[in-house]
Formats: sequence, structure tokens, C-alpha cells
Amino acid sequence: MDIAEVLNHTSPDLFLSDLTATDKQSALAEMVTGLVAGTTITNNETILQMLQSRENLGSTAVGPGIAFPHGRTLAVQKLTILIARSREGIDFDSEDGKPTQLFFMLIAPPQDSGHKYIKSLAALTDKMQNTELRDKLLESADFEGFCTTLKEG
Amino acid sequence: MHPQLQLLVALQDMEQMIQEAEDQKKAAELEGMGFNLGGLDGLKSAQEELEAKIDPRHRNYYRRLTKHFGHAVVPVVGNLCTGCFASIPASFVSVTNENKVQKCENCGRILYWP
Ligand SMILES: [Zn+2]
Repeated sequence: MDIAEVLNHTSPDLFLSDLTATDKQSALAEMVTGLVAGTTITNNETILQMLQSRENLGSTAVGPGIAFPHGRTLAVQKLTILIARSREGIDFDSEDGKPTQLFFMLIAPPQDSGHKYIKSLAALTDKMQNTELRDKLLESADFEGFCTTLKEG
Repeated sequence: MHPQLQLLVALQDMEQMIQEAEDQKKAAELEGMGFNLGGLDGLKSAQEELEAKIDPRHRNYYRRLTKHFGHAVVPVVGNLCTGCFASIPASFVSVTNENKVQKCENCGRILYWP
């Protein structure tokens, strides 16, 4: 899937430039609060619970300094992607033990025609193997700049 | 939201996650992206704990529906049950998720207003 297509599932309202949370639990909560604030989604409790279950299955911090909290839930009707950054970095139980600074949160409905969710996750995890691109994304001034960098990268 | 409905929704989400982690093809896809699904046993215990919190009456009904339809809880979108596409009476819509666990009059699935 093309990265521009992936970005159709997010919006400037779903971009958290610098999280205030300092631990994993509150970072997930802050991102879910951002998701509810930036969309018509209402059931934050269900989404948070689903994301916590997913982290229990295995940490989603799999890239260098990057995590992809993700999952399916009845609480959303279409694939929605939130992007968040943390300048300080958050301990997200990554395999290399290093703090996580960049987050792509993908929330999908139980059924998703055309596998948009898995394809988006694959496109993002693939793209983010590039650590130079990650560093540029951490420096982008705003959502527009972030998207431009991601598309060019 | 009705506390029992909240639990049923969470249970269905969790069961889908377990199913996908147990599905070899789907698990391989996620593992190929670098994700670790090693905590499956822990997730299964969490699922049992969650299930135990649900009123047996709702739990048994949920189980029956899951066996029959795959998904017991379905979202209501545009006043339609997305399980069978029957329209949901206005009287149901006004109480939505808040006061009781509502069922579709046509197919019996548990209704959830996202
Ligand atoms: Zn129905």
C-alpha cells in the first residue's frame, strides 16, 4: 500500500506533536484521549482496554524508537490512525530497551474490507526501518511537514 | 454505557485478538513485520478473567450467538443492525447503550451503538 493512502486514515487533529505522558500506561491513555478528541469516536475505555491487551500479547515497540500500538475493536467504524511523538521518549517495553519517541496508533473495526488495516501496518513498519527518516520525522514542525517527509522518505 | 455491554464488547474484541494470534497465516503476517505475539497464554487468562465478570445470563446468550453467527455483538450504523440489516426501532435508539443490553428484534444479536 502506498504511504499516501495510509495517510488518508489520519488527520491534523490526530497528530500529537509531543506527549506529556512519561510511562507506557499513561501514553496509551493520552493517545486514546487524542483519538476521541479528534474524531467522532466515543468509547475510549474499550479502545484503551483493547490496546492494553495487545501490549500484553507482546510490546508493539518494534522499530528503533518507534511503536505501533494497534488492534481491532467494535468501538470504531473505520480504520483510524493517530500519530504521536515524545521528545523525552517513553519506556514502551521495546526489545532493545531504548525509549520510544514515535508512535503510529492504528485502530481498525472488527471487519475491514480490503485488509486496509494490515496493509497500512505493513507499509508503516516497512517504511520505518529507515532510521534517518525516523529522525527527520521527529524534527518535522507540524502535521503537514510530517506527512511530506514521510511521503518523500 | 451499560457495564455488562462494556464487558461484552471488550470480550469480543479480546477473542478476536486471540483468534488472529492463533491463526497461523495472520500471526505470520504480524511476526513478519517484527511483532512478538509471545504473550498469548497471558491474554487467554485475561480473557477467562473478563468472561467471569459477565453475568451468566448474558454470557450464555453471548456464547450461543457467537457459535451461531461468529460475532455476537454488532454495531448499529444508520439505525440498522449490521448483522442482519434490519432497521432498529426508534424506541431502541433513544435508550442506546446506556440502560440495558439491547437485542436486535430480527436476528437476536446484541446491539452496540459505536
Ligand atoms: Zn439483526
